[in-house]
Amino acid sequence: MKSWKFLTFGLIVVFLFGLFVFADDAVTITFWHAMSSGHQPHLQKLVDGFLAENPNIAIELVYQGGYGDLQQKINAAVVAGNPPTLAQVYENWTTPILEVLYPIGPQMTDAEKADIIDGLVGSNTYNGILYTVPFNKSIMVLYYRTDLVPNPPTTWAEYLQMAKDVTLDEDGDGTIDRFGTAFRPSANPEQFLNFLEEAGGSILNDDWTEAAINNAAGLAAMEFAVSLAPYSLITSGYLSDPFAAGQLCMFIDTSAGYYYNNQSAGTGGFEMGVARVPVGPVNQKSMIQGTNVAVFDMNQTQAQKDAAVKFARFLLRPENTVYWAEMGGYQPVTKSAYETEEWENFVAAHSYQVPMSAQMLDGFSQILHPNYGDMREVVGTAFEEAMVGEATPIDALDDAAAQIQDLLAE
Amino acid sequence: MASRQIALDKNNLRGFSYRFTLYTLLFVGCAIMLLPFFWMVTTSLKTSNEVMSFPPKWIPSNLQWINYIKAWRAAPFGYYFFNSFFIAITTTIGELITSVLAAYAFAKMRFFGKNVLFAIMLGTLMIPGEMLLVPNYVTITHLHWYNHYQALIIPWLASVFGIFLLRQFFRSIPDELLDAARIDGCSRFRFLWRIVVPLSKPAIMTVALLKFIGSWNAFLWVLIMTSSDKMRTVPVGLALFSSDVGTIYEQLMAAAVMAIIPILILFFFTQKQFIQGIARTGIK
Repeated sequence: MKSWKFLTFGLIVVFLFGLFVFADDAVTITFWHAMSSGHQPHLQKLVDGFLAENPNIAIELVYQGGYGDLQQKINAAVVAGNPPTLAQVYENWTTPILEVLYPIGPQMTDAEKADIIDGLVGSNTYNGILYTVPFNKSIMVLYYRTDLVPNPPTTWAEYLQMAKDVTLDEDGDGTIDRFGTAFRPSANPEQFLNFLEEAGGSILNDDWTEAAINNAAGLAAMEFAVSLAPYSLITSGYLSDPFAAGQLCMFIDTSAGYYYNNQSAGTGGFEMGVARVPVGPVNQKSMIQGTNVAVFDMNQTQAQKDAAVKFARFLLRPENTVYWAEMGGYQPVTKSAYETEEWENFVAAHSYQVPMSAQMLDGFSQILHPNYGDMREVVGTAFEEAMVGEATPIDALDDAAAQIQDLLAE
Repeated sequence: MASRQIALDKNNLRGFSYRFTLYTLLFVGCAIMLLPFFWMVTTSLKTSNEVMSFPPKWIPSNLQWINYIKAWRAAPFGYYFFNSFFIAITTTIGELITSVLAAYAFAKMRFFGKNVLFAIMLGTLMIPGEMLLVPNYVTITHLHWYNHYQALIIPWLASVFGIFLLRQFFRSIPDELLDAARIDGCSRFRFLWRIVVPLSKPAIMTVALLKFIGSWNAFLWVLIMTSSDKMRTVPVGLALFSSDVGTIYEQLMAAAVMAIIPILILFFFTQKQFIQGIARTGIK
């Protein structure tokens, strides 16, 4: 009798153990990212926090090179049918692969969705559905040397005047030794797109049927950029390098570059200030850059998709988006994050965050058109041609518009 | 007698001035070539402030060996180095075997459609690798080689460039040698192994060295065909130090110095053959 009891007890234990193991089966999800070595420990810490809450989920972080490499790999993986569970994606990468994505929005509460910063909702919404969620976002701001630019320019007119005033040809040899400002037309066409937005323009018309870059707003933006050209360093490299060398007084760049730009200021032996971009004829908006997170629906199990959505929602929690912003040099992506004590304390301790935060809440994102990548390149070329004087503003824009029109027809 | 002495002195002087000019030019050329290496090594030992300083600081004030430790810890470089070595060595050996055999066939054997086949093969050199990346990825995935050594080794075991280079070299070996060998009862393979290969050492070394360097530096293929750190190589580790907003130059350079050391050692031991091979095949 005793042995029967023992056997029964043993069976129950085995059954319960089995139930525990199999009912709560571990789920492994893969997250493809392009975060460099400086950011990886912080991303890992976020993952660790998530795993502590969800011991039945495992996350494999896979570095996939720069953004260009990541895009190639995602495209190849979609063709081969083996994309990861999650990946960092730019808006224009998302449009062509929409049908293999698992929309995150429908799995989120209304409060969570309403909490995303306004400038980021549209850029993650496709056909009225929130497919992706913002991840590492930065905003274009004005960096300047406080010793040469005591009061940063607040309008386009002031920007032009200031650039003129601080440009210096020290030895009078006709070559500028210190530039008022700088542009990276081919590498960073966003500098022009910022002006375009502030002038009320856009690359395309509202329904994406026609190129609109060469309208009156586009021309105003390009003419303003060209008016700055005589006082501008035109380069394709990082602006932090000439900044460190004392060859540059102010420039518009992404907030994610703060660490490098500030380091350059230290090397150059001067203080660096940060301000909102000078206000344009229509608004003071600035471009939000950076990627979103997408969940794939292509050979993933429901459990994997659920786990991935859970992780994406976890990243949006105020404490996590604040942590990511503080450690990674990005901006929080939800409204509630800006109201947390942690972020307020951080901003109080880091004054450069005041203009960055204000600018982030007044930002705009890239358009979702699948050919945006090619259009961006066309804009970069037009911007460069106009800035170096190879084409007049209107010729450069007309040429760009024609090429964009061709891209629309593809 | 005196006039002879003057003539000799003149010759000496001419010889000296010629050598002086030659060595000066060589020295300048050498300095220009070595400058990037020097910059790489010194930058790897600078502080981040010194990296950006203007005018540039050539010698760091305080040697920052910590950059090497930081760079090493930024990624699992132990795996990366092992994989780079393993893949570079296996693909080099594999390519040498296939290239020598194919080059011999194209250089010394007669068969139907030889020239057409060779032209088609050369034609494949015109296709940009990037264009083939997605189809290749799909193939590798369907073969279940994704994230395995097979994906990193097997597709690289043959190279049109290697075949072409060796074929050109093999063609310079007189056919009479082959005829004589055959009269003595030597098989084609024995002739290849005993006569052609030893005679072609410089060209073979060139192919080997170019392959080793190419494999050591391969980035995109490895990145696309693998997903775990255990399968990746040194160049993937180097990419980690750059982002779209900036680069940690001092750590990148420290990692680059570590990455380049094996290649330098290899070159030091094989430079004679390498230079001979390049010079004889007329490829620059």
